[in-house]
Amino acid sequence: MIEASQLAKNYGSFSAVKDLSLTVRPGEVLGLVGPNGAGKTTTLRCLAGIIPATRGSIRVAGHDLAADPVAAKRALAFFPDEPRLFDYLTVRQHLAFVARIYGVRDHEALAQPLLDEFEIADKADQLPGELSRGMKQKLAIACGLLHGPAVMFFDEPLTGLDPLGIRRMKNSIIARARAGAAIVLSSHLLHLLEEVCTHVLILKRGEKIADGTLAEVAARFGSAEGGVNLEEVFIRATGGTEH
Amino acid sequence: MLRALLYLRFVSAWNWLLTRVRSLRRPKNLIGAAVGCAYIYFFFIHSMGGPAAPRPADEHVAQALARAQAQLPVDWLPAMIALGALGLLFVVACAWLVPTERPALGFTEAEIAFLFPAPIKREALVHFRLLSMQLRSLAGALVMTLFTNRAPILGGNVLTHALGWWLVFSALSLHFSAARFTLTRLAEGGTVLWRQRVLWAALLLVVLGATVLRLPEAMPAAARGAASLRPVVELAVALGETAPLAWLLWPFHIVAAPFLALDLGAFARALGPALALVGLHYLWVVRSVVAFEDTAVDQAAQRAARITAWRRGGRAGGPAQARPGPFPLRAPGRPEVAFFWKNLLSTWPYFTVRVWLAGLAVAVAGAWWIARSEAFAGFASEAALTILIFAGYALVVGPQFARQDIRSDLTHADILKTYPLRGWQIILGQLLTPAAILTGVLWLLLAPAAIMLWPAPETGSMLSAAGHVIAALGLALVMPALVLVQLLVPNAAALLFPAWFQATRARGGGPEVVGQRMIFFFAQLLAMIGALLPAAGLGTAVILALHWIVGVPAAVACAAVAALAVLLIEVWCGVRWLGRRFERFDLSTERPT
Ligand SMILES: Nc1ncnc2c1ncn2[C@@H]1O[C@H](COP(=O)(O)OP(=O)(O)OP(=O)(O)O)[C@@H](O)[C@H]1O
Ligand SMILES: [Mg+2]
Repeated sequence: MIEASQLAKNYGSFSAVKDLSLTVRPGEVLGLVGPNGAGKTTTLRCLAGIIPATRGSIRVAGHDLAADPVAAKRALAFFPDEPRLFDYLTVRQHLAFVARIYGVRDHEALAQPLLDEFEIADKADQLPGELSRGMKQKLAIACGLLHGPAVMFFDEPLTGLDPLGIRRMKNSIIARARAGAAIVLSSHLLHLLEEVCTHVLILKRGEKIADGTLAEVAARFGSAEGGVNLEEVFIRATGGTEH
Repeated sequence: MLRALLYLRFVSAWNWLLTRVRSLRRPKNLIGAAVGCAYIYFFFIHSMGGPAAPRPADEHVAQALARAQAQLPVDWLPAMIALGALGLLFVVACAWLVPTERPALGFTEAEIAFLFPAPIKREALVHFRLLSMQLRSLAGALVMTLFTNRAPILGGNVLTHALGWWLVFSALSLHFSAARFTLTRLAEGGTVLWRQRVLWAALLLVVLGATVLRLPEAMPAAARGAASLRPVVELAVALGETAPLAWLLWPFHIVAAPFLALDLGAFARALGPALALVGLHYLWVVRSVVAFEDTAVDQAAQRAARITAWRRGGRAGGPAQARPGPFPLRAPGRPEVAFFWKNLLSTWPYFTVRVWLAGLAVAVAGAWWIARSEAFAGFASEAALTILIFAGYALVVGPQFARQDIRSDLTHADILKTYPLRGWQIILGQLLTPAAILTGVLWLLLAPAAIMLWPAPETGSMLSAAGHVIAALGLALVMPALVLVQLLVPNAAALLFPAWFQATRARGGGPEVVGQRMIFFFAQLLAMIGALLPAAGLGTAVILALHWIVGVPAAVACAAVAALAVLLIEVWCGVRWLGRRFERFDLSTERPT
């Protein structure tokens, strides 16, 4: 469960996110879309407690992020757009490290299926320097999933993955939502979002333009034919033209 | 073609200068520059013109030498020549004997990307590189001149010193290049390098052994057993002047002669042979490149590229290699230990308990031997004091070298922030690795010092044997806390002024960076004094109050515990405060880029 109310973030005098409120219930996947610089990464970083919000309150899994950050963070996982790994820990050592930080018992038994799921089991004893970018991303995701988070934030999780990786990632996200996780993800790959998300939120220059289920948003930005085409919706909502 | 390359050098240097000057617009850089310039001026340049420094005039030189000899118990010049030549021999021997990944001609990545595909003859590239290396030698020579120009025992003047240093540096850098080319060629020719290396090392040892065997006759008998550093210096001089080794050292004497020349005449006489030696080295390098055709340069380039890639990966020096964790990390457990485990993996693999124990055994055995042998009677206490001074120095500057803490993880701060940990837990966990390493090093220094300072039974020493042991153990006990206090300073600097901290790490800075480093150094010193005063004060009070009642040894033990308590409270407060600071740390505004 994620609840943010009146979230705002200023960088100096520039306000990157203005007055954003959102709720994501267990089992829901919220897609955060918007043009470059709309404030998606900023929003996700605030929600995950990486940068302090200028105003507003955030509750993650029932814990106030400002008052009880440790309890809130124990329940969440954040996946940055660029995988951040330690250069001198192997794949396996990353998982051991994360397990100790989150107090995950018996992590080897949990890690192996993750490594298999993301097809990096054969690289288990290699350093990140020897992995391709997509593999690094898969490792970062495996690390984040190890403690079974109830709340997940993905910043552009699909860029850089191969087609099979994208399919697996999509299935993995859907499966975890079905299992009761609340998920927010940002992406520019709108046709993929359509398959994964239950809800969308469109941001532009830090402000919410529209949110709701896919059907609601589509209805509002009236695709007359009835078919939900997020790309069409996006272009109309953000006021862009194709030419 | 060389013109284009020279243009590249020149423009790069000019742009570097411009960015330096422009950076002075920021106040912190300006303050740093002011401090740095003042430091350079007062400590180096000022003294050059001052009346205390020796001028080329002969009487001054004579006076200075006389004064130096009156002050110092040994004849410094021969000693310096001997020690210098031995040191150079050691460096050169390392170039041949120790395997290295460094390329023979250190091309930068950009140079490889632009110059290697360009239609330029390889020979021109090599010349270009050698020229760059000469510039580097020149810069090194200028810096060293600033240092040595203050030494009152040296003859010559600024110019002869600078030229002398430059000859030494360029001969060395040419020799290193030539050595690497030759080694690569040998390897390509099918020679097994490590066998070759063992052979060379054995030859060197034979020469050394033969010299040592002939030593007793060459060494003045009076020198033995004196209560000073004299025996060691005399030994070095005798070693350097005795036959088989003296032949080996001859080229080094030639190279160092211009620098050590007492007057202009001697300098002129020494210049010819030294220049000839440098010229021969140049020919050697060029010939080995040509004989080699392109492979040498290509290999150099490949290796350079690989190393730059590794560097970018965050690991300076050798290649990153996966290795097993320092100890099994099981969950659940204190999360701080996970940082200790992780950061140990980021350093050299030699920081293990086993290596430490071996080092301790060697240090203790060596100290024991020195303390008991008659030849070094009296020398032991001086050596112990030297070691203690070095330990103090290590305590102050150590935190600048052991930086496997929050400083090297600032780039990962966003990930650290998502961990379900309080700020102080992260700070404490991150401090553990450098603290353990520095404590280990300091204990390795303390142990032999304590042994060599063992009170002689006949002297009415203030401390009994038991008191001595307890004092040493007490010092060892407070050491980890002392190290932690020291480490808090640079970590606080990194969290409070991330951008500034980043600037002091950048290489190739101008005076502003020198100044900023100086400011940090003094902050470190002040912090140490500030942290030590309460602990030392309480410790002294405890000793004064208790030694009447329980005797000196027990009072010292109590004092150590009291001092430790004070230091631990300080560390705890510091860690809590830094932790809060880390929790509030807003990456978006302060992230170092
Ligand atoms: N550290 C920072 N300091 C100042 N401004 C910033 C900082 N980070 C982001 N911004 C600004 O905040 C705005 C939102 O940036 P953000 O990274 O959240 O966009 P985004 O929606 O993730 O864009 P993209 O689709 O390109 O990833 C941008 O205008 C950006 O310039
Ligand atoms: Mg973004």
